[in-house]
Amino acid sequence: MSHERKLTLAWLFLLALTLGGGYLGETAEPGLGITLIVAVVIAIKGRLVIDHFMELGGANRRIRRLMNAYFYVLPAMVVAVDLFGPLLARLTAI
Amino acid sequence: MSLATTLPFPEPAAGRIPGNKGIWVGIFCELTEFALMFIVFFLARAHNPEAFHDGPARLATSAGVINTVLMLSSSYFVARSLGAIRRNRPRHTLYWLGGALACGVGYLIVKTIEFAWYGEQGINGSSGVFFTTYYYLAFNHLVHVGWGSLGILWVMARTWAGAYSPEDHEGLEAFACYWHTIDLAWLIIFPIAYVWH
Repeated sequence: MSHERKLTLAWLFLLALTLGGGYLGETAEPGLGITLIVAVVIAIKGRLVIDHFMELGGANRRIRRLMNAYFYVLPAMVVAVDLFGPLLARLTAI
Repeated sequence: MSLATTLPFPEPAAGRIPGNKGIWVGIFCELTEFALMFIVFFLARAHNPEAFHDGPARLATSAGVINTVLMLSSSYFVARSLGAIRRNRPRHTLYWLGGALACGVGYLIVKTIEFAWYGEQGINGSSGVFFTTYYYLAFNHLVHVGWGSLGILWVMARTWAGAYSPEDHEGLEAFACYWHTIDLAWLIIFPIAYVWH
């Protein structure tokens, strides 16, 4: 598959995820389910942009790992806030 | 005429640093800044679950979706502009960068309309903790898109002046990485502010 074709497929997939996310935002009931979907979609979108648009797939290992870590840690924080919100609030109360 | 070409595409060398080291220092500074704002947003949510339950429903999801489409498309166009210069097609690089600039300007216009609409609804940065953190994130990102769009103009001018070649296009590549970072920040802001209720 050509480089351009891979880029185009990644772009179309990202657009599809975005439209799905918009639909979810309008229709889904609040809860852990939507939190998990938000976290997974952030991780997938981030990885697609990092690997294909930024071309970090085969690039400098340290940069790639740091960028990938960002899109593991942030989604994990989204889930943690949903699961342990009251505990986090207690621990960070002034 | 299709912008695709049959010329061989030179794959970037494995292990290299896209752009240059300097731009990555800037990128990680930007990501740290955004990470701090995300943490503030998350902690505010933990402390005020009701405000963050009701808040996203008052945001214009359609504007958020349109702006995500614009940001993703601009990133795609910038990535294609790099492919074009590597194939020694500077005119095509200009076309792709022009598309990216149109998306960047489109984002700024949609965001301006969106903020004006919130104003008409009586919503502003003082309308509760959700909107305070939302405006802080969104306005900060808006500023980045603004100067990033100026950056697109700069690399367009450099391309037009013949500064980039298949062998040397470090400046364009460095800018591309920066623009993708601005895109990445929005890819987090959109779901946590508009979708996650």
